[in-house]
Amino acid sequence: MPKRLSCDNSKCIACGACMTACSTLFFKVDDPKRSCIRIEQNGPEIDMSVCNQTCRLCVAECPVKALTVSPQGVVMLDRKLCVGCLACVAVCPTGAMRHYPGLANPFKCIACGACARKCPTGAIGIVVEE
Amino acid sequence: MITVNGSPHPWHDGMTVRKILEEKRYTFPLLVVRIDGRLVPRSDYGETTVPDGADVDVMHLMSGG
Amino acid sequence: MTDTGFDVAGLKASHRPVSEFRYEKRPVVAGYNDRTLYVNVGDGRIAEKPVSADTRAKFTGGKGYGLKLLWDAVTPATKWNDPENEVNIATGPVGGNTNYPGSGKSIVVSISPTTGIPIDCNVGGYFGPFLKFSGFDALELQGRAERDVIVYIDGDEGVVKIFEAPGEAVDSHVLAEQMVAMFARDENDRQHISSVSAGSGAENSLIGCLNFSFYDKRRKVARLKQAGRGGIGTVFRDKKIKAVVVKYSSLDVTSNNPADLAKLQETGLKLHREIIELDDQQCRMREIGTAHLTEIMNEYDLLPTCNYKFGSSPDAEGINSHAFSAIVTHGLPDGCWYGCTMACAKAADGFELATGPYKGHKVTVDGPEYETVAGCGANIGVFDPRVVLELNFYCDTYGIDTISFGTSTAFIMECWENGILDSDRTGGLEITWGNGPAALELLHRIGRGEGFGLVAGLGVRRMKAYFAEHYGADPKFLQDIGCECKGLEYSQYVSKESLAQQGGYSMALKGPQHDEAWLIFMDMVNNRIPTFEDKAEALYYFPMFRTWFGLQGLCKLPWNDIEPADNASTDEPAKVPEHVDNYLAIYKAVTGNDLDREGLIRQSARVYNFQKVFCIRMGKGRRIDDLPPYRMVGPVTVEEYESRADRYDKQLREQVGVDPSGMDTPAKIAALRAYREDRYEKLQDAVYKRKGWTREGIPTIETLQDLGIDYPEVVEVVKPLL
Repeated sequence: MPKRLSCDNSKCIACGACMTACSTLFFKVDDPKRSCIRIEQNGPEIDMSVCNQTCRLCVAECPVKALTVSPQGVVMLDRKLCVGCLACVAVCPTGAMRHYPGLANPFKCIACGACARKCPTGAIGIVVEE
Repeated sequence: MITVNGSPHPWHDGMTVRKILEEKRYTFPLLVVRIDGRLVPRSDYGETTVPDGADVDVMHLMSGG
Repeated sequence: MTDTGFDVAGLKASHRPVSEFRYEKRPVVAGYNDRTLYVNVGDGRIAEKPVSADTRAKFTGGKGYGLKLLWDAVTPATKWNDPENEVNIATGPVGGNTNYPGSGKSIVVSISPTTGIPIDCNVGGYFGPFLKFSGFDALELQGRAERDVIVYIDGDEGVVKIFEAPGEAVDSHVLAEQMVAMFARDENDRQHISSVSAGSGAENSLIGCLNFSFYDKRRKVARLKQAGRGGIGTVFRDKKIKAVVVKYSSLDVTSNNPADLAKLQETGLKLHREIIELDDQQCRMREIGTAHLTEIMNEYDLLPTCNYKFGSSPDAEGINSHAFSAIVTHGLPDGCWYGCTMACAKAADGFELATGPYKGHKVTVDGPEYETVAGCGANIGVFDPRVVLELNFYCDTYGIDTISFGTSTAFIMECWENGILDSDRTGGLEITWGNGPAALELLHRIGRGEGFGLVAGLGVRRMKAYFAEHYGADPKFLQDIGCECKGLEYSQYVSKESLAQQGGYSMALKGPQHDEAWLIFMDMVNNRIPTFEDKAEALYYFPMFRTWFGLQGLCKLPWNDIEPADNASTDEPAKVPEHVDNYLAIYKAVTGNDLDREGLIRQSARVYNFQKVFCIRMGKGRRIDDLPPYRMVGPVTVEEYESRADRYDKQLREQVGVDPSGMDTPAKIAALRAYREDRYEKLQDAVYKRKGWTREGIPTIETLQDLGIDYPEVVEVVKPLL
């Protein structure tokens, strides 16, 4: 069943290393707005936001079937099929389907683990649910 | 007696916006309700009471077509 | 339906090439190509034409381009079936973007078989956007082939071909599947194919429609949207065109090359979110589409029942939205173009046909939309959803307009009720209220071009003349109950209690379709536009505003079938100001040009007045052509009056100033009629004045000059009438 990121916000120190790792890997820039995982500090609270791979509303909404579920249970976007309508972004209940203004396609976490490897406190991990 | 969309309509004690809509059989979903010019949010139709003599405006927007 | 039954190789082998045209592929620039495609199926000529700066500035795109090309192609003497008549298809500059809901519309224009003047239809499906991205802002189809042809536009390769195609099906649900099977490389390629086709009924009637396909990846079906009104499908088949097919494989956000993609995305995303958050509490478009209206119209006495005699029926529950919701497939992204989260293009799957040439087949039936539910349901006294769906399916695949079929059949049933028709005259069909099997058999006979089907397929105006001439029916009674104006059948709303809507219908340029204005609530329920001047203002603003959708390639539904949460607190909620501002924003985001609300109306007013002059040029568009049949204005019969006697008696007392007590019903009908007909004339005066027209409905030279459309050939049309 779904392979996904696990987030423990009691361990998160909001250092942003995960966002740097993610945006650098996928967009070759260090920009939190282009990271699939987002860390936001609101006073003492830290929100960690990333796709949980389970609700799949985006998969149902996609008119071109560019969003599919991989054998490992990860929701994947095929950019060759995507027509950039952003319906998936609108339908996502957690805001984890990302859009960066002017970019043709949306983007999302594929549970690759690059951010987890850079996390200094172990707040992020990869889990595979049975 | 109150006025609903320019026509007289009988008033009764405790009359709410929702009750008026039921009595007038205004079942259309896109409504804008004002009592004496004051907007009533959709979420308040059940609780908002209408005083005797009120001028009630139930504007139906368009859809379809 | 899959391609397994088709011998694609065999079909291809039967093709005979007619002509071929190669063109240079160029990217769209900010929504425009600035060239159009000309195809003559009669002599095989294919050419590209540049769009002049003046044409672009004055006609904007979409319907504007279609009408301009049509004007240049025909003369005042051109009839619908002359080879020079055209079928022109265009989306507009904003059309084809994948970000803002409702952005995939094509606008089709032609000289109509039933009205003799320009008709325009706004239709979904992928064709218009793919045509634009293949390199052309509009397609002109002219000429008449000797044998059936297919026109194929390959936007990937930059080539247009005409070839004779003797083997392909005529009926659209088969032909559309054959086209995707023939031109797609593999399953994924199927979504890159869109076809335009008609059907056997379009060959045999004057009320033919066009089907625009959109391939549904989940259902694996080439689904169909209709350019329904005014018989364009009939023109198409008269030209011996089986299909026009376009292929474009590289759709993405750069296809339309918007000037400001980020702004377009932002505006689209805002509306996507609004729809997803609010639609289920508002119009339930995502659940059941426009069919949500049936029970509302029934509740407000607006659902046409038995040829518009009545506005409601106790049986209407049988065909309400919940009845169809139980039949259609849910949870699919049912947009007729990409990026439409309103997703109102519902469909029933695995529907087993009970009658006709495809009896026993399990098919996907698109819709039904409200107009079809009302026209092929309540208006003919049918309240069985499966009969409505079957009529819907066969109308579509035969290429017959469901609205004209419904209104024509309703007229026939009332003629039967009044003894004008009997089974001798209908070839044995008992065409009585609510007889679903008879309505279906009538449709099949229209499809086959057989017996009484040939008469029914002429539409209401010609049936009136036919019944008077051949059956001695009273022409005045037929005129009163035959619901057509200018030769086009009415769409499906009862306008008796709304003077503004009577005008909205019968002053609509192409004929009585509600897409210029739908003012019934504003007028009849809200009591917001009491004076003639108020009504005239609404009959100016809304037709102008709504014309703009057709210039841009947009759908009207995302304008006001969803509203922002705070819409109620705006100055003019009925106009949905935030959505109007969205349109200005996406227009600028696509074209790079500023536009304000006044400029939007002005773009429309140019094309609207041009179309008006075009109608005059073709011999209609006069004051007398805007007169409605009395059935759409008030009660014609004693039965009708007495069904709403309290309402009408009250009106006689309070509005007409007549005491109905002691009057018999015919006298009351006459008194009410004199009053209502007089008010309609006063409305005409007010509306024409507001539009800048003479009392006879002719645009003045000043109006044409002010709009910058005072071209010599336009002025020449109106001058003798001023």
